[in-house]
Amino acid sequence: MAELAYHQTTGAKVARYVIYAVLIAMVLFYLAPLFVMLSTSFKSLDEIRTGNLLSLPSSISFDAWRAAWSSACTGIECGGMAPYFSNSLKMMIPAVLISTLVGAFNGYILSMWRFKGSDTFFLLLLIGTFLPFQVIILPMAQVLGMLEIEDSTTRLILVHVIYGLQFTTLFFRNYYVTVPGELVSAARIDGAGFFRIFFKILLPISIPTIMVCLIWQTTQIWNDFLFGVIFSSGDGQPITVALNNLVNTSTGVKQYNVDMAAAIIAALPTLIVYAIGGKYFVRGLTAGAVKG
Amino acid sequence: MTAASQGAPGFSLSRFADTILPKLVIAPTVLACLIGFYAFIGWTAWLSFTESRLLPRYEWAGFVQYIELFGNDRWWTAMQNLAVFGGLFIFFGLLIGLVMAVLLDQKIRGEGAIRTIYLYPMALSFIVTGTAWKWILNPGLGVEKLLHDWGFTGVVFDWIINPDFAIYTVVIAGIWQSSGFVMALFLAGLRGVDDSIIKAAQMDGASLPTIYTRIIIPSLRPVFLSAFMILAHIAVKSFDLVMALTGGGPGFATDLPSIFMYQHGFTRGQLGLGAASAMMMLFTVAAVVMPFLYSELRRERRG
Amino acid sequence: MGALSIRNVKKSYGDTHILKGIDLEIDKGQFLILVGPSGCGKSTLLNMIAGLDDISSGEIAIADRVVNKLSPKDRDIAMVFQSYALYPNMSVKKNIAFGLEIRKVPKAEQEEIIARVAKTLQIEHLLDRKPSQLSGGQRQRVAMGRALARNPTLFLFDEPLSNLDAKLRVEMRTEIKLLHQRLGTTIVYVTHDQIEAMTLGDRIAVMKDGEVKQFGSPQEIYDTPANLYVAGFIGSPAMNFIPVQLGEEGGHAVVVLDNGSTPQSVRLGPISEAQRAFVGKQVILGVRPEQLTDPESAHSDRTNLQSLQATVAITEPTGPDTLVTVTLNGVKTVARCHPRAAGHPGQAVTLVLDPTKALLFDPASEKRLA
Repeated sequence: MAELAYHQTTGAKVARYVIYAVLIAMVLFYLAPLFVMLSTSFKSLDEIRTGNLLSLPSSISFDAWRAAWSSACTGIECGGMAPYFSNSLKMMIPAVLISTLVGAFNGYILSMWRFKGSDTFFLLLLIGTFLPFQVIILPMAQVLGMLEIEDSTTRLILVHVIYGLQFTTLFFRNYYVTVPGELVSAARIDGAGFFRIFFKILLPISIPTIMVCLIWQTTQIWNDFLFGVIFSSGDGQPITVALNNLVNTSTGVKQYNVDMAAAIIAALPTLIVYAIGGKYFVRGLTAGAVKG
Repeated sequence: MTAASQGAPGFSLSRFADTILPKLVIAPTVLACLIGFYAFIGWTAWLSFTESRLLPRYEWAGFVQYIELFGNDRWWTAMQNLAVFGGLFIFFGLLIGLVMAVLLDQKIRGEGAIRTIYLYPMALSFIVTGTAWKWILNPGLGVEKLLHDWGFTGVVFDWIINPDFAIYTVVIAGIWQSSGFVMALFLAGLRGVDDSIIKAAQMDGASLPTIYTRIIIPSLRPVFLSAFMILAHIAVKSFDLVMALTGGGPGFATDLPSIFMYQHGFTRGQLGLGAASAMMMLFTVAAVVMPFLYSELRRERRG
Repeated sequence: MGALSIRNVKKSYGDTHILKGIDLEIDKGQFLILVGPSGCGKSTLLNMIAGLDDISSGEIAIADRVVNKLSPKDRDIAMVFQSYALYPNMSVKKNIAFGLEIRKVPKAEQEEIIARVAKTLQIEHLLDRKPSQLSGGQRQRVAMGRALARNPTLFLFDEPLSNLDAKLRVEMRTEIKLLHQRLGTTIVYVTHDQIEAMTLGDRIAVMKDGEVKQFGSPQEIYDTPANLYVAGFIGSPAMNFIPVQLGEEGGHAVVVLDNGSTPQSVRLGPISEAQRAFVGKQVILGVRPEQLTDPESAHSDRTNLQSLQATVAITEPTGPDTLVTVTLNGVKTVARCHPRAAGHPGQAVTLVLDPTKALLFDPASEKRLA
C-alpha cells in the first residue's frame, strides 16, 4: 500500500522523470567515447580537422581500418596491429586455459581436501590478489633472464599463469565451499578417487564458475599492459603495447582515425566476450572483488 | 595408538593417494605463490637496500635508495598526484556508483540494457580507454572544438596539456571506466537487502528517501568497504591509463608512483631506486588493504 | 562375530578432544543408533567408521577386520547422508550405478541390481530423472537406493531424515525399519532425535561431550537410564526431576513431596543397598509424566499406587491426554492425565504415582541409585 502511494503523487511522478533523465544522461556519457571512436575511425583526416567529435562521417571510409590492421607504424615496425593481435591470441589462449584448469584443481583441494596448512596457504594466496605487481616485476625480469626464456609469448604465458592463479583459485574455491562436502564423501565411499571425483562430479557442475573464470582471465590477460611492456620485446609484444606505441609514435602526421580504428581492434575481443558472457563477466568482477 | 598401528593391515595404496595426491597437485601453485609473491617481495626489498643501477648488485647499502627517493621531487610529485587522483577517483567513483545503483533500483524499464551500457568500459583495456580519451580531450580537435562549434567560442579546454589540470583528465577517464563497476557492486548489495526490513519501515511510515538514507544505504557498509578497497587498489596500481593518456606528462605533471617505478626500474637503469619505490607502493597498498583484510578475516572466522 | 567393534576410539584436534574413548560392539543384523545433541561427537564417530575422518587412537573393526588404515572404498560400507549427496549431474540411475561402475561390476549385473533396488524402494519411475527434479522424500529414497545397490557389510546413516518435513519423516522412519527387518542388514544410524532413536534402534548409544553415556536396548535406556542426562534426554515430555530427601520405612524408600501447602509422604519401592547409603540426604526423584497420572487412568492392577494432592498450574491438551503441570517441592512437574480428569488452572487434583517405576539419582555424580 505504501509503495502504491509513492507512485500516485505528482511529486513522485516528477521524481521519476528526473530519475530517467539522469540515467539517460549517464548512458550518453558512457556511450560517447565509443561513438566518437567509431565515427572518427570512419572519417578521413581532412574531415576530422573540419568537423568535430560528434559530427558523423560524410562517407564511410575503411582506409583507417585497413591501415590500422596492416600498415600502421608502431615505432619502427610498420605492419599494423595484425601481428600483435595474433601475439595476444597466442599468449592469451594457453594462459587462460592453464590458469583456469589449475585454479579449478586448487579450489577443489582447498575446499574438499583440506590439509594442515591449506587454510594458511589460501590466505597467502588471497593476500596475493592485493599486491601491486610493481613489487614483483624486478625479480621476475631477473628470473626470466636467468632461465634464458627469450620468447616473449612463453614469458608472458608463464607470468600470466602465475599471477592469475590467485584469482582462478579464488573463484573455484569460493564456489566449491558452497557444494556440500558430503558429495565428495559419498563419492569416496562409492570408490571414486581424487581425480575421478573432480572430473566426474565436481567439474560437470562447475560450468558457471568455469565461464566466470575464462571470461575474467581472458579480459585480464588480453587487456594487460604492465607485463606486456616489461616482459616482451620487439615483434613479440601484445596488442596493448603495440597500440600504445602506435598512438604515442611522434613521427609523421598524427592519424587520429587510424589510432581509433586500432583502439577498437584492440578492444574488440573483450567487447565481444562481454557481449556474449556479460552475466558471467559481472559475476566475475563482483566475485573477484568482494569474494564469496 | 599402538593398538591402531599394530592391528592395521598393511600399507593401503588408495589411502596413501588420498593424503598425498591433493598436496602433490597443489604443490606447483604453492611454489608459484611462495616464490612469485613472497620470495620476490623479499628480493625487491633486498634490491631496495643496494646500490643497484643498470644491473642488480647485492651488497648491503642501507637506506641510500630510500634517502634518494625521499629527496626526489619527482617522487613527491608522483605521490601527490596519487593522492589527488586516488582521492577524487575513489570519491566520485563511489558517489556516481551509488547514485546510479539507487536510481537503477527503482524498477526502471530497460534496466538490463542500461546496466550493460554502464558496465562495458570495464571490459576495455586501460590503454584503449586512455587512447579514446586522449583523442576526446585533444585541445585542438576534441571537446574544445566541439564547444566552439556549438557557439561557446571563448571556452578553453586544454586540461590534458595543462600541467595544473592534466591529472584531472586521468580522473575523468578513470571514473568513466570504473564507475559502472561500482554501480554493479552497489546494485548487487541493494538487491541483497532484506525486503521485510523495507516493508517494516514503510509500515512505520518512512518515506522512500528516508528508507534509503536511514536504512538501506547504512546497511551497505560492507559494499562501501569493498568498493573502496578495489578503487584504492586500482588507483595505486594505475599505470596503463596514464601511460596511454598522458604518458606521465606534460613534464611530470601526471606522474604516478607506478610510472616512476617503471621508468627507474626498467628504462633509466636505476634498479635500486625502482625497488625502493615499489616497496613504498606495497606499503601504500598495505595501509589501505590491511584493515579491510583484517575485518574480512574476522568475519570469516565468526561465520 | 562382531559386525562392528569400536575399541577405545579417541579423536582429538590438538587439545580439543572430540571423542574421549568410545567402546561399542554390535552383532550382524543389529541396528545401532548413535544419539545425542549436536556437538556430542556422534557424526565424527560415524565418519571415522566410514573412513572419512582419521582415528586419533583406538581401533575400529568391521566384520572382525581392523579398518583404521583403510580408505572408505575398501571398508565395504555404504552411507546415506543428511543432504542426500546425490550427484547433481547424473540421473537417478547413474547415481545408483556410479559405485558399481567404479567397482567394475559387469553391465548386465548392474542393470539387474538397479532394477531390484528400484523395485524395493519404489523408485522405478524416477530412474531417468535428475536429482533436482525430485522431491525431498524421493531424494531420500534414491540415496538409500545408492547405498543398497552396493550390498555392503555395514550401512551408515547420517541423520537421513532431518531434512524432511514431519509427516514424511515418520513415513520414512517406518520404511527404514521395514527395510532393515526384511534385508537383515547391519546399520549404524546417527540422529539427534530421541524418538527416531527409540523407534528404530536395537541398540542405542546415548552420547554427550564425546562420551557414551549409556549403551543398551531402547527399553533398558528408557526404564533404567544410567544417569540424569540419559533420563532427561530420552522420553517426551521429559522426565520430571524432583529434589527430595530420602527416608526409609519398613524396608522401603520414602520421600516427602510438598505441593506448596501440605507435605505428603510417598512410599517408593524396596530400598536397595545403594539407596540406603543416601538415607537422610538429598537425592533426585525421577518420575516420567506417564507414571504420574489421575487415579482413573492408572493401571488398576497396581496395588501400591501412591496418591498425592496438587494444584493445577497449567494444562496442555495433546488430544489423547492432557499434560498437567503442578508444583512439587518447588519444581514444575508434568503429569499425563486423561483429558476429563485434567481440571483447570487453580483447581486441586489427585494424582497417583507408580512407585515401582520411580527412579532415584545421586545429585552429585548424577548416576542412578540402582
